Amino acid sequence: MTSRTLPRLLQTPAVLLLLVWMLVPLGMTLFFSFIRYVLNSLRRPEWTSPSIDNWRGWGNYEYVLYSAKDFWFAVQNSLFIVGSVIALTVGLGLAIAVLVNRNFMGRGIARVMLISPFFVMPAVNAVLWINMILDPVLGLNGLAVEGINAIVASLQTMPIFGGFFSLWPEIEPVSFRATQTSAMAVIIMVTWQWTPFAVLIFMTSLQSEDQQQKEAAILDGANAWSQFRNLTLPHLARPIAIVVMIQAIFHLSLYAEIEIVSRGNGNKNLPYLIGEFASNNIGAASATGIMAVVLANIVAIFLLRIIGKSLMD
Amino acid sequence: MNQKTIFARFIRPSLAWAVAILFFFPIFWMVFTSFKTDADAVKPEFLFLFTPTIENYVNMTENYDYWRFAVNSVITSVFATLLTLVVGVPAAYAMAFDPSRHTKDILVWMLSTKMLPAAAVLYPMTFLTKNFLGIFDTHFLIIVVLSLINLPIVIWMLFTYFKEVPKEIIEAGKMDGVSTWGEIKDIVLPLAWGGLASTALLCFIFCWNEAYWTVRLTTTDAATLSKLIEGNRAPEGLFFGRLSAVSTAAVGPIVVLGWFCQKQLVRGLTFGAVK
Repeated sequence: MTSRTLPRLLQTPAVLLLLVWMLVPLGMTLFFSFIRYVLNSLRRPEWTSPSIDNWRGWGNYEYVLYSAKDFWFAVQNSLFIVGSVIALTVGLGLAIAVLVNRNFMGRGIARVMLISPFFVMPAVNAVLWINMILDPVLGLNGLAVEGINAIVASLQTMPIFGGFFSLWPEIEPVSFRATQTSAMAVIIMVTWQWTPFAVLIFMTSLQSEDQQQKEAAILDGANAWSQFRNLTLPHLARPIAIVVMIQAIFHLSLYAEIEIVSRGNGNKNLPYLIGEFASNNIGAASATGIMAVVLANIVAIFLLRIIGKSLMD
Repeated sequence: MNQKTIFARFIRPSLAWAVAILFFFPIFWMVFTSFKTDADAVKPEFLFLFTPTIENYVNMTENYDYWRFAVNSVITSVFATLLTLVVGVPAAYAMAFDPSRHTKDILVWMLSTKMLPAAAVLYPMTFLTKNFLGIFDTHFLIIVVLSLINLPIVIWMLFTYFKEVPKEIIEAGKMDGVSTWGEIKDIVLPLAWGGLASTALLCFIFCWNEAYWTVRLTTTDAATLSKLIEGNRAPEGLFFGRLSAVSTAAVGPIVVLGWFCQKQLVRGLTFGAVK
């Protein structure tokens, strides 16, 4: 055995497995996206088995893009959710990382508390938030609004100022089960789960910040904001880019949260739409899937380039 | 005391603690509510003061058949982690210590498989496993799928750990005539042991929390805790107590495990790009 054979042999199982895992299902999706293929059809039973005879060309893509009105809504909603989550997690993550970076009493415990949401399984996250916290009647959301209304009501009975408080309207709790608000609910719960991830990465990166440079800046009279703006932020540029892209890839395939929060109320993203199509129209599901792959790849190329660069150093 | 020290000594720590408590609150609330009866859990007068009970935990099997799902979660996560390591360790080892021209490209390509949206191959996977291979809803299937999903991350993490083992030590070993196996057993493993352990731990956590394939490729036999919780997503206003108990049982052990590998998490999730 030559010296090159052994290392190749050791890599082979991993490479082969991943190759099969990637090519076989994706190849099938690609094929299905070009044929007419439905699970149930009394009128055209020949469409119920995948066959090259049912070739449809770009027909499924045209159907998804132009006739199925949900596609563009799902794309828009996916991007809305992903964009909002990224903006919130990066903003909050930066603020919290800078805040927690210094030593203070009980920092270790505070850190552990802060990171915990990241390990909660997505299904529990969604069930917990939508039922126990955001529910407009029984959740904390409903109880808090009820409490505020009760306080206002009791203030209205006060002798002199009561007149002033009687002008206050009774507030209504927001219901997070409508189409638009359930997208908000998803954003809230995913932000809660992923802000710790951003914090953790920014904190790790802050540890390697050049302290001498910082001290020099303080001696030069730089205030906290300009230190952050001119030293810390450039230092964090790469971690921020990575946090943005990793989240983009993960959240474009968000599924459990959408399924739990918004089944049947119209709040859908691409994976959810694919799931809906897949209950009968496999051709359309596959065409949508291929478009989701293209969308994810646009982000992935940039991410892989950054990661590849840092690989060998 | 000037303004600056007041900020540093009191305001900053209080703010940091406030944020930490805010983020932890939903988890606290879940655990807290799990000790209330279903009736008490929705009454505002028992919001904070109530008579604690463990009946939700005692009745967990009856209410949700918890242990069946938990056992499935344990089986699939443990074996998926083992399988991933068995395939991943040799690969990462070869890539780190005997890199070829293509190693970098292979690594990046492996990672790219992780970036394909799972939903895109939903139907082919269902079709293949149900109609073709007949392994739909089996532990075997879930184990294989979970390890394939995590294989790229595990190889990347191990690769970065192996790379940190100083080359000189290995070369010194070679000079002394240590065999390849001896090199792995006596030099690399002791040095990379911590990395290996935290990689396994993280892989286990990711397997446990996976919520797409475990939900879509199972019905009953191999259904995991993700499936159990997902199946109880309906507004369960009257069952907050028992729902909290089963949720706590499902995430509790994992959150605690997570505390131990929070440092490694960064490496695992950024593929070594942030250190």
